[in-house]
Amino acid sequence: MHPILTGRGRILVYLAVWAPIAALLTIVLARGGAMAWWEAAVIAFPMCLLYAFVCMASWYLCRAIPLRETEILRLAGTHATAAVLCSGIWLVIGQALALLLDATSDFEGIDERYLSQLPILFLSGILLFLLAVSFNYLLIMLEASRRSETRALELQVQAREAELRALRAQIDPHFLFNSLNSISARVMADPAAARRMCLLLAEFLRGCLKMGSEESIPLIEELKLAEHYLEIEKVRLGSRLTVQREVDPECENCPVPPLIVQPLVENAVLHGVAPLLDGGTIRIEARRNGAFLNIVLENPFEPEGARKNGTGVGLKNVKMRLANLFEGKARLDVEQTEARFRVELQLPCGRS
Amino acid sequence: MMVKVAIVDDEEPARKVLREYLSAYDDVEIVSECANGFEAVKAVTDLKPDLLLLDIQMPRLDGFEVLELIGHEVDVIFVTAYDKYALRAFEVHAVDYLLKPFSSDRLREALDHARKRLATKEKLHVEDLAASARPAGAKLERVLIRDGSNVHVIPVSKLDYVEAQDDYVCFRSEGKRYLKQQTLGDVETALDPSQFVRIHRSYILNIDRLARLELYAKDSHAAILRDGTRLPVSRSGYARLNAVLQ
Repeated sequence: MHPILTGRGRILVYLAVWAPIAALLTIVLARGGAMAWWEAAVIAFPMCLLYAFVCMASWYLCRAIPLRETEILRLAGTHATAAVLCSGIWLVIGQALALLLDATSDFEGIDERYLSQLPILFLSGILLFLLAVSFNYLLIMLEASRRSETRALELQVQAREAELRALRAQIDPHFLFNSLNSISARVMADPAAARRMCLLLAEFLRGCLKMGSEESIPLIEELKLAEHYLEIEKVRLGSRLTVQREVDPECENCPVPPLIVQPLVENAVLHGVAPLLDGGTIRIEARRNGAFLNIVLENPFEPEGARKNGTGVGLKNVKMRLANLFEGKARLDVEQTEARFRVELQLPCGRS
Repeated sequence: MMVKVAIVDDEEPARKVLREYLSAYDDVEIVSECANGFEAVKAVTDLKPDLLLLDIQMPRLDGFEVLELIGHEVDVIFVTAYDKYALRAFEVHAVDYLLKPFSSDRLREALDHARKRLATKEKLHVEDLAASARPAGAKLERVLIRDGSNVHVIPVSKLDYVEAQDDYVCFRSEGKRYLKQQTLGDVETALDPSQFVRIHRSYILNIDRLARLELYAKDSHAAILRDGTRLPVSRSGYARLNAVLQ
């Protein structure tokens, strides 16, 4: 269906556009055909009303022969033929109207005066039709561009979602290998410790998988996952890794995107504490700040060690996710002094 | 034949696995357990093990750097969770490459390789090792110098200049001198050419230290460093210096 026909408002606007055309036609008939003003109007307005709908029908023709894919000669030929035909039929109907009016006493001789204007009416009919054709092509093109725009947006959203899924599923395989090695170390000498480590690892993996399918989780869940991770890494790094927590109980139920803190904790271990000869303490702090939730992670790092380990990727991913999820209402600030690394995450936290 | 082994890994559980596996062998003696690269260098100097079981990712000194310092004195089996270093390990002539976690059978294989190599007493050139321990194309970021059982780590940004001295090169940094058995040509190729320029047959200069150039004879110049040191600049060195400074 023609897009104009999809709403009453549109039809009215369309007809309103035709009103000045009808007025113009009235002037032509009144001046050239020596009709009285009201005589000309009685012929011109019904004819224009009719032709408005005839021209609208050219929409289907335009759809059938698209502008880009059709040869120019065929395009011109088809539309010219259609214009001549439609204009002709239009004139015949106009003639019939004039004849009907002629029969009444008030409009005597109108048929003759109408006939004298046939050439100019014929020409206007063709021009109006062609005008409508170009208007229709414009509409088709607009619609196509809007459709491709929405498709591009849809694709963008899909790509982003896929990326997030991949992000959530990302568990560093070397973390697994190292943990399995730690378990292997305990199997003979301390089976109970080996089993405890298996359970920790299972908890962590299950947590990661489960969270991958959720939109948001309470902060406490996210911190529990980090806890499991840190417990496992403590086995590996021994006394080199210590953790200090300051979590305000008030913010434990704040909803956060799953696995938003975990990459920061992993960074703090892998690029902060692990490369230090004597290790260090990771400080995790979470507190409520009005409508916001602030999470701070602080860790020492080897200033010289920065040369080979890129922490950039993990931070960039978190930043991108925040930008996608909160559209500028969340922040990730990174502060780096000589030997300390500090990230502060600020998220909106609705009452929960 | 008794094999003397040193275990080098910063993770206690990883050392534990090796200790447990090795305890099954009567002809293997663990002479040292090291938690980092510095301890490894010291252990190799003091205890002269035949074989090093060496982790790669360790704080401060990684496995390849340890190898660069002591690789000519001892055979090495790498033990790591990362497979991405396998090619480099092969290039530096490691005996074997164990991926964590590994079985005792896999360790037995590696030990067999090591015994074979020990029996032939095949020794390697230290220069080969020093060059190939760096990833291909990467420029040197710090200079490692072994001083007995100690290791000095000098970031290249702290180098003032490098001087050739007979069979050694002398690295000058913050008023101190460090000797290393290497050729100046090798040092030159390892350093970033936009930062370090061979100004003379015997000198490589960190251009950040250059205060000014003086003409001191026809066709020959002297480089005056910020601390007042004068270094000779040869004609070709002057051309290279100009090319970099432009």
